[in-house]
Amino acid sequence: MNARDELVHRLSIKRSRKLGSLSKEAFAELELAVREDPSNFVDDAEEQAFSVIVQALARFEESRHDDDLLDDEQYLAARETRMRRISAACTQALGLNEQCVDARLIMVLASDVTPDEQTGMLLGLDKQLEQDFGPIEPGAAGDAWADVFVRPRLRVRAALARACVDTARFTMARSNCEDLLALAPLDTLGARFTYALTLARLEDEEGFNWLDAREKRKGNAWFHLSRALLMYKLGRMPAARRALRGYDRLCAGGAYILLQPIFVDTYIPDRPAFEPGSFTEAMLAAHEAEPIIADTPDFVGWASQQPGFYDSAVAYCERNGLDWRS
Amino acid sequence: MAFDPQREDYQRLGLRFANSLSTASPTEATRAFASFGRRFARDRDSLPQSDADRAFGLVAAAAKNIDYELPFATDEEAEQIIARGHALLDEAISLDAQCYDALRMKAAAEHPSFESFYTFLFDQSDEVRRTCEERRDKAAAACEGDERAQLAASIAMRPYVRWVATQAEQALICGRNKEALRWAHIALETDSRDTGDVRFTAALTYAKLEDEQGLDALTMASKTHPHTRPSNDAWTQIARMAIAYKRYDLTEAAQLFDQLARTYPHAAESFVRQLELPDGVFARLAVRPYSEDELVLALSEATVLLQEGRDPDGRGALGSWVANQAAARLPQSVLAMLAAEAEARAQDAGTNGADQGGMS
Repeated sequence: MNARDELVHRLSIKRSRKLGSLSKEAFAELELAVREDPSNFVDDAEEQAFSVIVQALARFEESRHDDDLLDDEQYLAARETRMRRISAACTQALGLNEQCVDARLIMVLASDVTPDEQTGMLLGLDKQLEQDFGPIEPGAAGDAWADVFVRPRLRVRAALARACVDTARFTMARSNCEDLLALAPLDTLGARFTYALTLARLEDEEGFNWLDAREKRKGNAWFHLSRALLMYKLGRMPAARRALRGYDRLCAGGAYILLQPIFVDTYIPDRPAFEPGSFTEAMLAAHEAEPIIADTPDFVGWASQQPGFYDSAVAYCERNGLDWRS
Repeated sequence: MAFDPQREDYQRLGLRFANSLSTASPTEATRAFASFGRRFARDRDSLPQSDADRAFGLVAAAAKNIDYELPFATDEEAEQIIARGHALLDEAISLDAQCYDALRMKAAAEHPSFESFYTFLFDQSDEVRRTCEERRDKAAAACEGDERAQLAASIAMRPYVRWVATQAEQALICGRNKEALRWAHIALETDSRDTGDVRFTAALTYAKLEDEQGLDALTMASKTHPHTRPSNDAWTQIARMAIAYKRYDLTEAAQLFDQLARTYPHAAESFVRQLELPDGVFARLAVRPYSEDELVLALSEATVLLQEGRDPDGRGALGSWVANQAAARLPQSVLAMLAAEAEARAQDAGTNGADQGGMS
């Protein structure tokens, strides 16, 4: 989540509303001034609360930088502190504005509950927001994301869709992703990636092909992995082999990450940013696909036996000085 | 109802015996048949039979060994039982190279993964169907009277029904749910009486695909069938509970759990344990309907539903939720006993390495 940008945008809009209709140029200038020092432009409790979240998220990210140097025990301790701190920040934000959606969302995500309980909490939050503020609308721009004040609610939905995948509730995951794509067709949050995995798990080839066509068949790690899983599940082995080759060829480290999964921590509050085609992309896709891969118990074994796949994983590992656990 | 190898052996030889009496007068025939039951029990081999019948007799013996005795054997006994089972199956195949039950049971032990066993079944299924159909036509033609011919035809097709039923189960385990449904429906079309309760596998699969309509259609179809029991078997009830859970209708899921607990004795304990057992190698074990054993069996097959999803306890999302539901309905003393049991099992698994999986 690009929290600071959102804050700048929110504050600029609020200030410009106060000033009356600004020209495009004047608005751009205002935005520059806000970017320089947002705190000067915080006029209400809502933005105070949001600012607290923005700062907390920045600290949260910073505190992760040294994770690689920690052993398991130290890592767990550091993680606990981190989660406790961000929860405390959420409490502080909610003290300023009890409606702060991002604070409520992060509170749920950072809490130490099972994925099942988390799903229930996110579902409850989404319903409450709908009750309090009405349904999310695509708005004049035709994309709800364009309204910066609606974005937190889209994040809640996207987190809910992922929680549904994590707890094997795929019809619910599907309908949440469908809603998100209808409300925000540009899909800045990448609900379509969750959707692709969901359709693979439900073995919905027609749905997957529709989504793939919507994506102009450009694909990425989620799409390639989902297609390989889908074809494997449908027992269409030549197509599954082709899809797996595509995944291996087009996703940096894709083969490696499938054979050597890496722990990815809870998304706070949404999927981390990644460069298209990067190893991070493959890592996030494989992480999100984990429950579906586990439900297809021989998929990884099958993949590693396909010509070139294992070698490709080893080669990537060596080229990048990564670990290989046997 | 399930495939009962002993009963099927009895039926096969009974049919052949009856056919051999067709030239006798009705009184002679009645008298001769009166002795059949005794001869079957005491001196099976003295009864008239083909090589295929002999092979099936060996399969029945192996099934008894592997499916019904092995789970209760000590480690030392287990090795002997497995060796004896394999020898019986080898002998069956040497008598009848197309003894598909024996071939399938051997393959179950020999294939290293679900995937490779499934592929083996998939590759052979057309041939199995062709052979069984040929045998069915021959067997029916050799019988007098419609009823006998029907039974003969049904028995001749059973190895194929078991083949595709196993294929459906394996597909489900492999995460190939649409394939599982396809094979389950082929089994149901081939044997409309559903002798092997393949619809139970289909019920779990519909839950995997979260296809409530499909599950409704399945139970409606069996409702109109005179031979099947009502759709309150453990498999269908677990499937319904899973679908409610997946909808996040936890109130309904809890009600469905309570309904299940009223249908089966000691259900809460079984749901806390959630034992995973080796599948029957001949076919799903024949146990008494609505018995505790039946629920244990259904829960073991429902592992694919229970253990799916992330869960800190490693029980899967639904598995964890329903175990908690069950635990909340049990007194502290029973929970303590179950915890001690689980610990003993974990220690046992630790000392014996991996779980004893089937006959491999």
